[in-house]
Amino acid sequence: MTIEITMPRLSDTMEKGTIIKWHIAEGDEVSAGDVLADVETDKATMEMQSFDDGTVNSLAVGEGQAVDVGTVVAVLLEEDESADDVMPASPSPSPSQVAEPAEATPSEPVVADRQPKAAGGGPLRISPVARRLAEDHGVEVSTLVGSGPSGRIVKRDVLAAAGAGEETRSAVAPAAKPAQRSMTPPPTAVAATPVTTPEQSPDLIAIPGALQSHREPVTTMRQTIAQRLVDSKQTIPHYQVSMTFNVDPLMALRSSLNTQLAGTGSKISVNDLLVRACALAMYENPLMNASWADDSIVYHGDVNIGVAIALPQERGGGLVVATIRNADRKSIRVISAETKALSEKARTRGLTVEEMSDSTFTISNLGMFGVDDFTAIINPPNSAILAAGAAIQKPVVRDGELAVGYEMNATLSNDHRVVDGATAAQYLVSLREFIENPAQILV
Amino acid sequence: MSRTIEFRDALREAMSDEMRDDPRVFLIGEEVAEYDGAYKVSRGMLDEFGPKRIIDAPISETGFAGLGIGAAMMGLRPIVEFMSWSFSLVAADQILNNAPKMLYMSGGQLQVPIVFRGNDGAGGQLGSTHSWCVESLYANVPGLKIVIPSDPYDAKGLLTAAIRDPDPVFCLESERMLSMTGEVPESPYEIAIGKAVTRREGADCTLVSFGRPVHFCMEAAEQLAKEGIDCEVIDGRSIKPLDIESIVTSVRKTNCCVVVDQSWSFASIGSEVAAEVHKHCFDDLDNHVHRVHSDDVPAPYAHNLEAEMLPNPRKICEAVRSATYNA
Repeated sequence: MTIEITMPRLSDTMEKGTIIKWHIAEGDEVSAGDVLADVETDKATMEMQSFDDGTVNSLAVGEGQAVDVGTVVAVLLEEDESADDVMPASPSPSPSQVAEPAEATPSEPVVADRQPKAAGGGPLRISPVARRLAEDHGVEVSTLVGSGPSGRIVKRDVLAAAGAGEETRSAVAPAAKPAQRSMTPPPTAVAATPVTTPEQSPDLIAIPGALQSHREPVTTMRQTIAQRLVDSKQTIPHYQVSMTFNVDPLMALRSSLNTQLAGTGSKISVNDLLVRACALAMYENPLMNASWADDSIVYHGDVNIGVAIALPQERGGGLVVATIRNADRKSIRVISAETKALSEKARTRGLTVEEMSDSTFTISNLGMFGVDDFTAIINPPNSAILAAGAAIQKPVVRDGELAVGYEMNATLSNDHRVVDGATAAQYLVSLREFIENPAQILV
Repeated sequence: MSRTIEFRDALREAMSDEMRDDPRVFLIGEEVAEYDGAYKVSRGMLDEFGPKRIIDAPISETGFAGLGIGAAMMGLRPIVEFMSWSFSLVAADQILNNAPKMLYMSGGQLQVPIVFRGNDGAGGQLGSTHSWCVESLYANVPGLKIVIPSDPYDAKGLLTAAIRDPDPVFCLESERMLSMTGEVPESPYEIAIGKAVTRREGADCTLVSFGRPVHFCMEAAEQLAKEGIDCEVIDGRSIKPLDIESIVTSVRKTNCCVVVDQSWSFASIGSEVAAEVHKHCFDDLDNHVHRVHSDDVPAPYAHNLEAEMLPNPRKICEAVRSATYNA
């Protein structure tokens, strides 16, 4: 009998998966445990392994194609089986075949794919007239947040979006009015803002690198980012507390450490020191390492520091948060090596769910870009995130004297359900204690 | 020339005009003659037309309804008055099983040009058995027509059309509206059966109703206008045939529909309108059709409970707010 390989459910929330890369081709022999493909889920890129031995008869899904969990992605032939056996000899399936597909393939995955997804990632709910008006006005419904029950997109939502688009339209190109409602479908290519092509505007000279209006479907990761951050910002009462640290001692320590580590391949960054300082500062401020759980607050026994990693544009951009587990009990060298390895892996191959889960606090650092001050959105179920700016040399006051020194801004975004302002302030005080007396970070 | 008269006078004018014009027309019912009508609808008619055409019937709805049907089959044009449509239930076999089917069963030989008329709906503390709204129950039967005037003008025009119609027509009046006054032309006129009228124009939600609840809709529309919700009120005038075209035209404009039907909700005029609107306006709707009905209980006797059980402006406002996502 042939073996159908279906898209596995690789995480609790996974509904679809994308084959990023096939490691097998038709005709290949595979054994149980072999890696068949890299699969991108809503959270991570993971390896899909074979549970059976056999020969690859066919690949049903191309690279880059997203399919529902349970969809057949490949067919294996068992030993002594030929491709001709794939077509069942008898049209009536055997009882075992009938019984089996319960967990297997939806007969028409195409139907599921036709259902557009809502802005939040769930099924799109939209009233019929809202759908029609969206078509008439060229409004992209998947970008709308519905104001009706269960997020249903209703007439007013579309008209509001169309109105916004309309204003832009009339400001830019009065000629590009939307088609009146008619029996013929309107030109769906009309975007919310009109495309002014060089042909239409002969007065404009073509400039290399000038922008072109276009639209690109979002990746699974971009959708996940969108959904998680909207959830976070909408459900968590955020507020920010900032502090400026004197990082002269920290910069000196780093420099000294790196001099001593020269040649070992290790190079300590400000962020590595910050990860450990943040972890150690938890002992005096356990609420900062806790999570809101509706009727209780969960205090975490482990201090797992999430580190936000931006991904390269050529891999679709986006960001992931890698988890440095038990950062309070790891040496700076270990933290540094782990962070480096996880960043590298995230940027090239993608992280596993394991490598991204269980953080209890997150650091987002834009210091390498020279950003001196910014705020970040909490990474649930964390109760806080630290937005760290660059260590910048500037005129400072030291011991009542004007001097030149390094300072760094840090802004803590907090979940007010868990962390009150004074608690957040106390945490920054503890953090300052570590950063301004950095020898403590090493022990 | 028109003047202001009561609903009951308008009904009488329609009958008297037709009786003067057509000797085949006669009125039969309980207390229609000597007592001038239980609700004084037929006041003075005995004097003008005599006991052969204004006939007091015994308390036997099956008997005089059947008599009327037989007379219609033989070429007369009877008007059968039920003191209340609640009492027509005992004549169900005559009015549902014979009158509407006779033309069909006789292969087109026996027309039944009869009008059944009387008070429909809760009259006000008459209790469960005397407060029937029969429209949903009866409209289910093929072969009959149902008109339901909501003011004196419609009462005269629709009843005139009913008397002149070649088929059985049920005219549903309301004890609560008999004293309502309104401008009514003196000369006879017909209002076409099966054509609705727009009582109020609006842009945000179409209210569809029939008979007395039309007034509740108008009241609700006033209140909702203050809240910024602009309602269009359609008075169906006829229940069967149903002027779905007028309703559809309105809903295509407002994208929203609430049906107010004083009968119970299950398999009702309201559900019929909703089904038709969903069928014809599927792509025009911003929400499913909402319905306001009498609560699914026998009519209570207590005054306050009865008012709460029936469609009322508060319930209508709530339904419109919900349908327009303003709840």
